[in-house]
Amino acid sequence: MTRYDVTITRLPLRALFEMRGALPGDAGLPPPPAPLRLTQAGDRVLAMTGPARWLLMAPLAQEETLERALPEAVALSDTLTFFAITGLGAGQIMAVASPLDLHASAFPEDGCAFTEAFGIRALVRRLPGGFEIGVDASHADWFAAMLDRVAGCA
Amino acid sequence: MLLIDCPFCGKRTESEFAYGGPALAPRPDPAALTDAEWVDWLTVPPNPLGWVEERWWHARGCGAWLTLRRHTVTHEIAEVRHGR
Repeated sequence: MTRYDVTITRLPLRALFEMRGALPGDAGLPPPPAPLRLTQAGDRVLAMTGPARWLLMAPLAQEETLERALPEAVALSDTLTFFAITGLGAGQIMAVASPLDLHASAFPEDGCAFTEAFGIRALVRRLPGGFEIGVDASHADWFAAMLDRVAGCA
Repeated sequence: MLLIDCPFCGKRTESEFAYGGPALAPRPDPAALTDAEWVDWLTVPPNPLGWVEERWWHARGCGAWLTLRRHTVTHEIAEVRHGR
């Protein structure tokens, strides 16, 4: 029984690459339409997280292929741990965790932004029925405990 | 709490940023200065009762370095721009 109607799931490791400057054509995705937005094609996601700063996400099985195709990209795969927060109470959990304005008018369906959650740097985007949040892997256990505490599981 | 209007991200809370010191004049040639002037440039930050220009790093956001024009009494922020 939780305080909010919410399910918190730790997601498996994924391939993550950060790129700076001009977006290489080999990323395999068109650039997002605006800052702090993402584009998605198949199982790959490309987000514009800063000025001339891109984050490519893909299944871990594609890591080696992408590493060869994008020699200028920096592999970050094992640096972030992602959580899915889904359910009717997902917005309530996010409101406690992060100061980011997640109203649909400020953070659209394809929104993706670095912000902070429980005081640490976090990457946020929407999922069907909730949100995905990624934090530094070294803080993941503590962050999971914080999510559980807010949700009322702990 | 300051609310800083990042040109890339929009309004974000101060806690997402790291203070990067005063936005100083370009680094002078130390050989062209007296020792006192050089020490002054290196170690004495401007501290007026009024407007200052400061560097802030959006460490927990877009990662950009910004320059803010902020009033030290009211904390009003009149300008935020990328870079210097």
